[in-house]
Amino acid sequence: MSSEHGNGMIKDVSGAEDSSAFPAGMTTQKATSTAEAPLTLDQVRTKLSGVKGKRYWRSIDELAGTPEFEAAVAKEFPDAAAEWVDPVSRRGFLKLMSASLALAGLAGCTKQPDEPIYPYVRQPEDLVLGKANYFATAHPFPTGGLPLLVKSDAYRPIKLDGNPDHPYNLGSSDIFAQATLLDLYDPDRSQHATLRGTTTEYVDFLGAYRDRLNEGKKDGGEGLYFLSTSFTSPTLQRQWIEAQKAYPKARLVQYDPALAGTAFSKGVSPQYSLEGADVIVALDADFLSGAGYPGFHKLTREYAARRKNPAKGMNRLYSVESTPSTTGLKAEHRLGLRASEIPAFAAALAVAVGAAGISAPAYSWSAEQTKFLGVLAKDLKANAGKSVVIPGLYQDPSVAALALAINDALGNVGKTVTALVETDGLPFASPDQIGDLKALVADLNAGKVDWLVMLNSNPVYDAPADLEFKTALGKAKVSVHLGSHIDETGAEAIWHVPAAHYLESWSDVRAYDGSVSVIQPMIEPLYGGHTAHDLIQAMLDEPQTSAYEAVRTTWKSTIAKGGEFELGWRKALHKGWIDGTANTVAASMKPGAVKVPTPLPKEAFELIFRPDPNIYDGRYSNVGWLQELPKPVTNLAWDNAALVSGATLTKLGIEEGEILEITVGGRKVKTPVLVAPGHPDNAATLHLGYGREAAGRVGSGTGFNAYLVRTSDAPFYTTGSAVKVEGKWGIAVTKSHFQDHRSKMEGGDGSGTHSLEGNEAETRGVIRSATLEEYKANPGFANEGEEHPKVERDNSMFPNWEYKDNAWGMSIDLNSCTGCNACIVGCYAENNIAVVGKQQVRIGRNMQWLRIDTYFEGDLAAPKAHFQPMACQHCENAPCEQVCPVGATVHTPEGINTMVYNRCVGTRYCANNCPYKVRRFNFLLFSDYETESLKLMRNPDVSVRSRGVMEKCSYCVQRISEAKIDADKENRAIRDGEVVTACQQACPASAITFGNINDKTSKVATLLAEERTYSVLADLNTRPRTQYTAAVLNPNPELAEAPVEHAPAKG
Amino acid sequence: MAQIFERSSNALARMSLILTGLIVISLGVTLDQLQRSPWVTRQGQRPDQPVPFSHKHHVQGLGLQCQYCHTSVEKSSYAGIPPTKTCINCHSQIWTNANLLEPVRKSWATNESIVWTKVHDLPDYVYFNHSIHVNKGLGCASCHGRVDLMPLMYQQNTLQMEWCLNCHRDPAKNLRPVSQAYNMAWEGPSKEKPVWCSVSDEKTGKPTAQSVDCQTSEPGSGKVEVASLSMAGITLPTATNYTKFTSQRALGNYLIDHYKIRKPNELSSCEVCHR
Repeated sequence: MSSEHGNGMIKDVSGAEDSSAFPAGMTTQKATSTAEAPLTLDQVRTKLSGVKGKRYWRSIDELAGTPEFEAAVAKEFPDAAAEWVDPVSRRGFLKLMSASLALAGLAGCTKQPDEPIYPYVRQPEDLVLGKANYFATAHPFPTGGLPLLVKSDAYRPIKLDGNPDHPYNLGSSDIFAQATLLDLYDPDRSQHATLRGTTTEYVDFLGAYRDRLNEGKKDGGEGLYFLSTSFTSPTLQRQWIEAQKAYPKARLVQYDPALAGTAFSKGVSPQYSLEGADVIVALDADFLSGAGYPGFHKLTREYAARRKNPAKGMNRLYSVESTPSTTGLKAEHRLGLRASEIPAFAAALAVAVGAAGISAPAYSWSAEQTKFLGVLAKDLKANAGKSVVIPGLYQDPSVAALALAINDALGNVGKTVTALVETDGLPFASPDQIGDLKALVADLNAGKVDWLVMLNSNPVYDAPADLEFKTALGKAKVSVHLGSHIDETGAEAIWHVPAAHYLESWSDVRAYDGSVSVIQPMIEPLYGGHTAHDLIQAMLDEPQTSAYEAVRTTWKSTIAKGGEFELGWRKALHKGWIDGTANTVAASMKPGAVKVPTPLPKEAFELIFRPDPNIYDGRYSNVGWLQELPKPVTNLAWDNAALVSGATLTKLGIEEGEILEITVGGRKVKTPVLVAPGHPDNAATLHLGYGREAAGRVGSGTGFNAYLVRTSDAPFYTTGSAVKVEGKWGIAVTKSHFQDHRSKMEGGDGSGTHSLEGNEAETRGVIRSATLEEYKANPGFANEGEEHPKVERDNSMFPNWEYKDNAWGMSIDLNSCTGCNACIVGCYAENNIAVVGKQQVRIGRNMQWLRIDTYFEGDLAAPKAHFQPMACQHCENAPCEQVCPVGATVHTPEGINTMVYNRCVGTRYCANNCPYKVRRFNFLLFSDYETESLKLMRNPDVSVRSRGVMEKCSYCVQRISEAKIDADKENRAIRDGEVVTACQQACPASAITFGNINDKTSKVATLLAEERTYSVLADLNTRPRTQYTAAVLNPNPELAEAPVEHAPAKG
Repeated sequence: MAQIFERSSNALARMSLILTGLIVISLGVTLDQLQRSPWVTRQGQRPDQPVPFSHKHHVQGLGLQCQYCHTSVEKSSYAGIPPTKTCINCHSQIWTNANLLEPVRKSWATNESIVWTKVHDLPDYVYFNHSIHVNKGLGCASCHGRVDLMPLMYQQNTLQMEWCLNCHRDPAKNLRPVSQAYNMAWEGPSKEKPVWCSVSDEKTGKPTAQSVDCQTSEPGSGKVEVASLSMAGITLPTATNYTKFTSQRALGNYLIDHYKIRKPNELSSCEVCHR
């Protein structure tokens, strides 16, 4: 019986300390004890080298044994103590307590309130209430659209997933696409048009706009300017081209802060195919961590596909990168360079593989770097035609050209790299976004701009700092802002018009392969928003034409080629894309001339700008799911920080969480500092998108604004200075929370300074991996040896469970998982998970059912990492089940360890007894039962949990139940693949497989039977249902590190 | 010194001890009874509705089938409350000026819902699914009672968890042929009124209901009263072996086998209803 539930987006976003804008919120308390200086990089290396065997670690602090780390892990919940000590909080607590006592006494006797039923007056014919409908649409993103299949409950979109039929993503998705659901229902979206800040009607704006356009007809639109994020919609492009005919002097400037200045924004978008690539080289290209890289879904899928069966041959990934990314950490060999060194390195590599016409700038590479270059070039040449070099997106355009030259020299072009030719002749790249924006600002300052219409962009916040956009904007006679929020720009503009979300409006977008997906609305605009289509169409002869008609007009001839238009249109809507729109492969692609910039001087402090992995360029600031998501590599949530290497941290004389003042050409920003393992020395990475002042209740006041020091001449990296200033900024890092106090006798290392997780990863085989050679020599490495315990079925006091019908199980392939987090955001949406806010995250109360544990391995400066998605393991001998006094967590006849929320009384015994630490407790009322728009978003098949209730991964039991009912009605068994969990569905690497392990032919049973499959903490004999496939790495023997023992030799 | 308490106070003390115990017990019993009472469960209560809709009139009097209004009962978790359109189908022709139907006409004219009060209201943490019950041989009347005799709708059963579990632990006592699901007067087989059932063909992938044929007159007696999901033009499979049932228990067990009803331990597992 589907009924409306409330669940939480935001409660207690952050405490007073952090909720205000950054400089004001910064406390000036003195840094606590620094009696013991942190170890230098050399010392850490020495410490590491003394350790035998495989050493995993979770954070730099742990490795260096800093006092902060020891203090932090000594308490189970760091910083929690303050909560009830504060008198105000305590009073509040007592008040709550008395209220809840009163309620507890009465709860048993209260009657349910009367519930009304609102039936339809005329029910849509195809609607069966209680059964979801699915519609195809696409998520427009500047690096390419993502075809989606939207789950719609009574015409409310409640879950977004990739379109499984689309050849580009085959059903996978990413964190941004998943999280746009919350973006749609964001209660902070603007709901009315405003004129100078006062509410007005859209028609008033439209009247003024039309008057101006009529006037403009006389002089060709002189003084009429449009500023927009990149036009991803071919229809919008067509409309603009037509508008330009009527208004030849009107100007359009496209500016995407993350992409401006990249080769991609200049229209260079080669297609990579990793299926045939034995050697992959990423030149500062982070193609495995998120949709920020064009083609992410396809590249990740193809990368992972070549690692699923090592016996049949694996690819080898080299990464030369500046900011550490999951791509670099997944790589067999990673070389950390400063961002400015990458073009020179690429040039040197091009010369080394014999690319013609390239000259590398002279640079003194270290011995290690030279060796890496030599081995890399040799391996590439040995795999000519079977390799691929992928250039970084946020790099000087020369890197893209050099990568092409290398691929060309190796004969990869046409095999692993192809160029595309646009089939429809709508080339619309803006070659020089930054130049265009500069020209616009110049015109603004010169008073030439009469009307400036800003479409879905936020230049006041994200334009290069040197352009002083805010001042310039004031000089436009009339400024118009079309946006989903009254953001920094919306507050400055004279008119603000609420924008319709992409799930509320018609449009179209091209995917990576060029195929066009029609974006169809899933819901009537919640706040009557309008789109860029409407505003551009207003300039044409038929200003009233809707976006729907405009999209149909654009594709009329293309669709009509395949038969009758109406039929073809309906097919395209049903399928999710228009046939015959995928770009064709160019015959050849030749590298042009390349100008390689010389690296910044070695002594200069380098600042690297990157869009944030979670909130991108700031557009998703107000999406709580993304804010609370621990970022890959750093596990930082709710903030950004200047990322530096351990050595740089020491050199700057600062500690994590303390404040660094960064100065670039006189512009300053204060930022907390955080160590990123593998970060190049003498450099800092600043993630864009934070420090917003008008993002909304979630995003405002988080992090610091890196745009303040980003200038138009150096969008990707620059030099600056950094000095420590007084202050501290509480950062929320979800890493180690448990310290290992055990002596050597009892299995610990006796130091008392390491995290339990880090130690146990090694000693109890939490992470198991081998090299390809070792694997070939001993395929059963994952379950052999003292440190790799196996589960034993009958080694228990408790009788074994017997399963007659289904027995659900999950297999997670650690070789495929790239740590992109798509699964976590998918889980948020599917399971109505609450967002708890920064302060609660800091004390370890984040509610994600699924987390990705990152285990670093090896050298501090060049670590590898293993990403391990960790959710409830659904143990056969579940420790939680034994200790629940009220039977709220029980074993089902199909082997699921299920939570019964309405039985739970919140003793938390289960969480204490869980060795995997995957249970989440609602310490406070995290779920939002009040906000109307969020009620629309919830999955009606999952309870919204209230305060005092334990929750955890349920294996998406609601999906199992649905499949079971369908199968039972049809009198058949559930088919393999019929139940797909939300995490599995989102995963671009297909790392997660779910199914019935009683069915020996099922995919999951086959995977679990593999020799590489192991259970985490198998020595406890919990016999988890979720098991992991051990990673196999394919390192180049020539770059072998100091010999470390990976796996016990056979025999 | 005189004694403070008289001798009789011993008895008083004993009495009060016993009384305290009795009060505690009776309080417990009272609360327990209260929790099960119609005051809490709302059994038998007829809430005010915008239109005093009579199921008795429409079902018993006019012979409307349940699914005419509750269209999604076989397909979805939710049986469906009819849209105003369904009322108007007939009431644009008959009783067009009846005062009682004013809310219906108003809804039709203004496009605003008729706001009913939910009679059968489960808590939000219960995920009940109509379709699986109806498709596996549970009749409407088993839970909702003789709706065809209710002039005003009310809740017949407690709808409390123990009531659900009563059946989930022993479904045999309530199962009937799927073809009888909408038969309000179905009473189950007895010695006087036996039921004959046969299994013709058990193909997987097809609803089990289609393979079980039941009838209330003896096969071969000439009075063919086939109760099956048959369609016009399709000849029924000739069933050979009819089994005669004279008790609900026997029929229930037979249907459990052939409808492949899950085992009681599976049916009463928490995640079946709570998630």
